[in-house]
Amino acid sequence: MKSDTLHLSAVYTKMIFRSWFQYRVDAILRSFAVFAREATSIIVVYFTLLKFDTLNGWNIYEMLFLFSLVYVTYGILIIFFTGLRDFGSTVKNGSFDRYILRPRGLLYQLIFANADWFAAVGHGGLGILLFILSAAKIGVVWTPWSIVYYIFSIIGGVLIQGAIFLFLASLNIYLLETNSLKEVFYWNARKFAGYPISIFHKAIQFCMTFVVPFAFVNYFPAQFILRKEDMSLYPGIFMYLTPVLGIVMYILAYAFWRYSIKFYKSSGN
Amino acid sequence: MKISPYMAFAKKSFLQKSAYRLEHWMGILNTLIRLVIYVEIYRALYGGRETVDGITMSMVTTNFILSLGLESFFVVNDYYLSSRLYDGSIATEMLLPVSFHGRMLADNLGTAAFKLIFHFVPAMIVACLFIGIQAPAGPGMFGLFILSALLGYGVLWSISFLFQMFSFWLMNVWAVMTIKNVFINVLSGSMIPLWFMPGFMRTLIGFTPFESIYFTPVQIYLGKITGSEIILGFAKQIIWIVALLLLGFMVWQKGQKKIVVQGG
Amino acid sequence: MSFIEVQDISKTFKVNKRKAGIPGMIANMFAPKFEYKEAVKKISFNIEKGEMVGFIGPNGAGKSTTIKILSGILCPDEGKISVGGYIPYKQRKEYAADIGVVFGQKSQLQWDLPVIDSFELLKAIYRIPEDKYKKNLDRYTDMLDMNGFINQPVRQLSLGQRMRSDIVASLLHSPEIVFFDEPTIGVDIIGKETIRNFIKELNEKDKVTMIFTTHDMQDIEQTCNRLIIIDKGSIMYDGSLHEIRNKYGTSRELIAEFNEETRVQPINDVIIEDKEDRRVSFTFDNNVTDVNKLMHEILGKYSVRDITVKEPEIESIIQKMYTGEAFV
Repeated sequence: MKSDTLHLSAVYTKMIFRSWFQYRVDAILRSFAVFAREATSIIVVYFTLLKFDTLNGWNIYEMLFLFSLVYVTYGILIIFFTGLRDFGSTVKNGSFDRYILRPRGLLYQLIFANADWFAAVGHGGLGILLFILSAAKIGVVWTPWSIVYYIFSIIGGVLIQGAIFLFLASLNIYLLETNSLKEVFYWNARKFAGYPISIFHKAIQFCMTFVVPFAFVNYFPAQFILRKEDMSLYPGIFMYLTPVLGIVMYILAYAFWRYSIKFYKSSGN
Repeated sequence: MKISPYMAFAKKSFLQKSAYRLEHWMGILNTLIRLVIYVEIYRALYGGRETVDGITMSMVTTNFILSLGLESFFVVNDYYLSSRLYDGSIATEMLLPVSFHGRMLADNLGTAAFKLIFHFVPAMIVACLFIGIQAPAGPGMFGLFILSALLGYGVLWSISFLFQMFSFWLMNVWAVMTIKNVFINVLSGSMIPLWFMPGFMRTLIGFTPFESIYFTPVQIYLGKITGSEIILGFAKQIIWIVALLLLGFMVWQKGQKKIVVQGG
Repeated sequence: MSFIEVQDISKTFKVNKRKAGIPGMIANMFAPKFEYKEAVKKISFNIEKGEMVGFIGPNGAGKSTTIKILSGILCPDEGKISVGGYIPYKQRKEYAADIGVVFGQKSQLQWDLPVIDSFELLKAIYRIPEDKYKKNLDRYTDMLDMNGFINQPVRQLSLGQRMRSDIVASLLHSPEIVFFDEPTIGVDIIGKETIRNFIKELNEKDKVTMIFTTHDMQDIEQTCNRLIIIDKGSIMYDGSLHEIRNKYGTSRELIAEFNEETRVQPINDVIIEDKEDRRVSFTFDNNVTDVNKLMHEILGKYSVRDITVKEPEIESIIQKMYTGEAFV
């Protein structure tokens, strides 16, 4: 990054924090509400496993670990991708035109001009909490290699989800409403992801692996650490693909984004 | 009290819903996906067992289909009052010769009617074809189920009504509504069938309105409760609706005073 | 070559066309129907550096499409466009660095933060050197009297204050050309005056080219020397305000206030109308009737207390240009 771009990123961040700081109490309440809403699934899993002990061989701690990857990656993701998450309304209310009128990259502005810290703290906080609760209880010895692997998987998971957000944002240029598409192709996929995909019908497993590759965000990285029995159903290499997949998906999504911007300029909104 | 102005509001919200066709189809898909997730999880949990604690897999499936089905058209707008307070339109709305709450209900019912026809029915057809639902425990039970479901909507709506009335004082309505919904989701049986909740939780939930939303109707449908238990179930639903609405009205009166004093 | 050259620009949009109501709604779910709308049809014009041009026309006339094409947000389907040597939609980032845009209805400022914070952010976005930033900031805030509120959050400002802030925001990087879209809408009279004077001074002293789209005829009359009227995607008129008055604005209204109730004799080529309070209006064409002769005749024949002669407002002149068409 050129130095003035770096400087601008710093100024954007400063402004975001100033804005956020205005809220104070509200910020805490909001972050907690996000935390509570996401924790709903965890609470449900907790009570369910209280009754049933294991789900396909996964106990409560392994489940928490599996979930934690979803939330940690999202917490990081939303710091950078808030602008893309909200792209639909940005286009609708005309704010996107203002970005076009500025001498800066469009995607760059969308990424750095905004960050939903409430969501970052709510999801990220939950993810970290789940990790802390489970990391010691899953019977795993953390070696330097597994720590490095874990970090790369987090980055890969962020990129995979970022690519999905970028792709859905590009679709907003063609479709009036993509909230429902987002619901299906991101949020619902994410719901499946909290559970080991081996419990689902083969068709669902296929979707989670090849259509919306959420399984690579948490299931396969978790398997690398946990090596549960149901991993034998899948090619071993899947446990290592996450970072690669993240980069490839992001590049493809970016190409589609560029194409869509051209379309926006020729058709208005 | 004339019905026709309320019909107009209901019709308007019905038509507004239709404006986004893609969103609509996706909404149905959304319901079906959630249904599939819950059913698959329980299939795995049951692991081939016929029953757990006397509950068959088919009962579990039916619980989810009915809960999510009802949820799909039990429309409440948690932000009806707060959005009008925020943009000031509450002032003009209060001047209309119709009851504000009547309008609120009519608005929700319009959307609910739309979702009933265009979301619930298609989703139910697909669910019953591909997942399979248990037949009701009898034609009489089915009728009682429908009645209880209507009351269940009343309970859900009344909870939203009460919480909305606090909008006059709340800085952050969204946070409160989100947390309220967490409780509803976890405790109403739509995510965990209440049969599987630990005993103490079950007892606790019994003191809340949450089981009266979806679970009471489902229990009636499945014939899990009979005779006097059904009457008790209905009574609880009605009592909760009345209590919540009354409380809501009291809060509303206080809120009215507040805006008059502040000058809108 | 002119500073702005627009040649045969055309733009057509695809619009969803389904009737409202239940049958339309069902039809739309299964078979959506589209219609093509020609927003701009082969329009051409040239603008020199330092000109102040006003674009007016009814809603849906193609004004905002033209401005979007000029500012680089939209690309035309056909035709050529060049502004200051750039092709707006092709060289977006470089072009954006040299233009300013003010949307009267939509602020570009950070809602929750003090105005000065937004300016700081723009300084970084536009890479404005510190000395230029300080110089512009001090000059503009003085001219627009903003020191009283520059540290207040934007959401606390009055519309006039916010508009002034948005205008400064668009000028901090010393752009060569500024586009104004409804810049004084909703602003009070004094605010409008301040803004118009500021704009005029900037144009005169700094030779900033300015383009306005507005419904406020007074904005145009007081600031622009050239008027382009767009209707139904085509240019109806392109010329000076002066010319419009001469060509279409030759009617005059003389109002005489008499000392007593007076029965006025008819005069050739003059429309006479009785008004209240012993006033009578005489409407005539400046080219046909000599105002001196008319006044002479009235003063000679009757006992007059007061006389005024009114020029028509641009608004009514333009309305006359389109009998039957109403401008909002």
